[in-house]
Amino acid sequence: MTRRFDPYPHVLRLPLILWQGAFFVIPLIFMAAMSFWLVKNYKLEPNFVFDNWTRMLGRGAFWDAYWITLWRAVLAGIIASAIAFPAALFMAFRLSEGGRRFALLCLIVPFFTSFLVRAYAWQVILAESGPVNAVLGGVGLVPYTMLNSGFGAMVGYLTLVLPLVVIFQTWSLAAIDRNLIEAAGNLGATPLRVLGSVIIPAAKTGLVLGAVFAFIMTFGDFVSPFYLGGSKPPTLTILIIDTTKSGQQWPRAAVVAVVMIATLFAVASAALRAAYGRRG
Amino acid sequence: MTESRLHLTRRRLLQGAASVALTAPMINRAWAQEATQINMLGWFGHAEPDIVAEFEAENNVKFVPKYYAGGDNMMALISQSPPGTYDLILSDAEFVQQLNAAGYIEEMDASLYPFDDFYPEYMNFPGHWTDKTLWSVMVRYGLLGVSYNTDALTREEAMSYNAFWNPKVTGKVGHFDWHLPSLGQVSLLNGNKAPSPFDIDEAAWTAVKDKMMSLKPQVGGYFDYGGTFAGLKNGEMLAMVGIGDWITGVLEKDGAKVASVIPEEGGIQWTESYSIGVGTTKHEIINKFINYMLSPKGQVKSIQMAAYPGLSPTKSGWKAIQEANPAEAKRSGLIEGDDNDPIKMLREGRLFFRDVPKQQSLEDWNDFWSDYKSA
Amino acid sequence: MRALGWVYLSAVFLFIFAPIAASFIFSFNSDRFPTLPLGSFTTDWYMRAFSRPEVWQAIANSLIVAGVTAVVSTFIGFATAYTDFRYGFRFKTAYLALALLPPTLPLVIMGLAMLAWLSQLGISGTLTGIVIAHVVLATPFAMAICRLRLSQMDPALEAAAWNLGSSQWGAMRHVILPFCAPAIVSALCLTAAVSFDEFIVAWFVSGLNRTVPVMILEILQGNVDPQINAIGTVVFVTSMTLVVAAQFLIFRKRQDD
Repeated sequence: MTRRFDPYPHVLRLPLILWQGAFFVIPLIFMAAMSFWLVKNYKLEPNFVFDNWTRMLGRGAFWDAYWITLWRAVLAGIIASAIAFPAALFMAFRLSEGGRRFALLCLIVPFFTSFLVRAYAWQVILAESGPVNAVLGGVGLVPYTMLNSGFGAMVGYLTLVLPLVVIFQTWSLAAIDRNLIEAAGNLGATPLRVLGSVIIPAAKTGLVLGAVFAFIMTFGDFVSPFYLGGSKPPTLTILIIDTTKSGQQWPRAAVVAVVMIATLFAVASAALRAAYGRRG
Repeated sequence: MTESRLHLTRRRLLQGAASVALTAPMINRAWAQEATQINMLGWFGHAEPDIVAEFEAENNVKFVPKYYAGGDNMMALISQSPPGTYDLILSDAEFVQQLNAAGYIEEMDASLYPFDDFYPEYMNFPGHWTDKTLWSVMVRYGLLGVSYNTDALTREEAMSYNAFWNPKVTGKVGHFDWHLPSLGQVSLLNGNKAPSPFDIDEAAWTAVKDKMMSLKPQVGGYFDYGGTFAGLKNGEMLAMVGIGDWITGVLEKDGAKVASVIPEEGGIQWTESYSIGVGTTKHEIINKFINYMLSPKGQVKSIQMAAYPGLSPTKSGWKAIQEANPAEAKRSGLIEGDDNDPIKMLREGRLFFRDVPKQQSLEDWNDFWSDYKSA
Repeated sequence: MRALGWVYLSAVFLFIFAPIAASFIFSFNSDRFPTLPLGSFTTDWYMRAFSRPEVWQAIANSLIVAGVTAVVSTFIGFATAYTDFRYGFRFKTAYLALALLPPTLPLVIMGLAMLAWLSQLGISGTLTGIVIAHVVLATPFAMAICRLRLSQMDPALEAAAWNLGSSQWGAMRHVILPFCAPAIVSALCLTAAVSFDEFIVAWFVSGLNRTVPVMILEILQGNVDPQINAIGTVVFVTSMTLVVAAQFLIFRKRQDD
């Protein structure tokens, strides 16, 4: 420390601390505190009681929603990773540098379309009387119900997360040292063996990150389970929105939110520990 | 809006969407300059052009709507805004008492409204008056019964709420995502008519819950207004609980094979009323608008509202629609003495006003509803 | 084998782009609930959507919110990136977590917390409220872009400026900022695009001031019709213009180096 106070580093450091402190950290803390408040006649009353917690955590509906949300998020992470992997492998090893860059650029495009609009498009495409069933009917198959089901919701989740998972996987696969793979090949390893003991371990970070992001985004998505899954069954996000809608019960919605944050934190840190594993 | 902007060519749109968007603020300034802004809290459709455009043009006002879905949702929205945010509140009749109790609405001057034109059944709507004080004015209503796809069920089958349990619609029964109408219909099916399907003791409430739960295997989803509409239209749902002509009426006009009937067990009436928000300064123009909507001209608009049709509580409204659109008058029963005449059904004891639960708390019903959805 | 790879890759891309393409096609299709075969070509949905003053109002709101969000979040993001680049200090991990965590929080939760907090402050239901929330969400993206650019800079460059007698602020102005200019411009574009598309938090805190995506959500909740596709297509074109501009600026600058 110099004797004279130097404002320069502070002026640059403070904006983030102030803004994210005031409008990210404090709102979250406030929300957590609000979970102990009460609602009387549609009005919030500061308090410190555990009513909301015992009421929400004591309800079967809450735990049903919790497990279905968790299960779907895990499933989406696995399915998205499995679908993305062959594509990422192909992009990383079979496309030219330019081709790969172009493909990755294309994968960024979906982030700039409204996800709502895409969900609405799926609603039309997958409808009983929609194009997919028209094609199925054309080849003599019976219409298949795709909307308002776990399948519909999964289509939504994959639409949301697949581009990101492919991007993560491709990055980490493309970064693998080619000599390593060649060396393994020269030592007589089969392609499958190379994949299992060289490529996948080397790309572990990207693979795990992709799956974790798929998990996080699915866990917090509201649009897919509502507009494509028909709220059947409701997920935690739907529960939050239902709870805020019905009689101003923000404190109870806050309970759900706090549980969600805790879950996300636990899963994400466990997964990251797995990804960056050995060095602890 | 200028004429040329309305005649956008596709090419221009594709090339210049962004630049078109950039001109928005200027256009915006042009139309927003003088008009008085009326903030309205209401169900979807009540401040759409087909209802308000003419009034806006004649009186140089501009409606700014905030749409909600369900009375609880409305209460939540109003409680999170400062007083004076909403000038005009269109609420479901059963929530007027709650709005009043929470102090969100102002007293109204009964002499300003054409009550002598109302059918007597609607002159003193429950909850709209405390003693001689008026808090809300009814503007339209509609009936909730069994709404169904006419390819899937016959009219005879639909004439009982048991239709929802019909194997022909397994997995294709949708719910409008609000507890009051669905639970009210099941309560009617259980025979709770006197005094009202919403005034039931604990034993009857338990029976209603059990009956509702037994419908679960039939259910294909829970929908907001848009989802209900789309689900019935594209055949995703073959029967809907908790709705009526306010959805199927629009779809019929669109050529969909759907219909609504009031079953043997009776139907439920939804009722929409205008209240004045506490803290508004625009009383004069609001009263003018309420009178406009209650006039024959306004009632004809209300009856044929694009978002969802509604019936008229005024005698002059019935006459006006019979002249303006005889087919619609016939279809919706706005001809005295017809089979589907709502006043006749009301007098015969086949209709019940939708209400908040009388012996349980609204919260109990709400909680059961979310339990049911996730069961 | 290679052909199979192409087929697979195309299938994945088809899935990802099907809804985008479909929305575009449906926006010019006359059917309200499209099926095969398609109806006739029409620009009716565009005309209907864009003849509604409230759509223009929503566009104006969106542009204001996106514009202010872009400026504020890029400023904060740049300052943060520079701090990370230049300084080591205690609690730096916490500092970086603060900078990067917001996008991982579910938007529904973000919306609830924002609504609760902003209504406590009395600014829920205003455009200011939406801007505040969007800056929180967009700053990490601005920070990432600026940080990436700074990592391409030789730290000796700044030191050289000091040795030549420049003050810290002078070096910032004459060395760092010019070097980061393309990143700053792309951060402006990207953060604007993030804000322009966000609807859940905006829906929670918007009150009567609707932005375009909130309007789309309300149409979806209300009178579902293909105007959604028309508005969505225009929003998409707008966002993509911003992003392509951003890419172009980064890319061109790289070639200059």
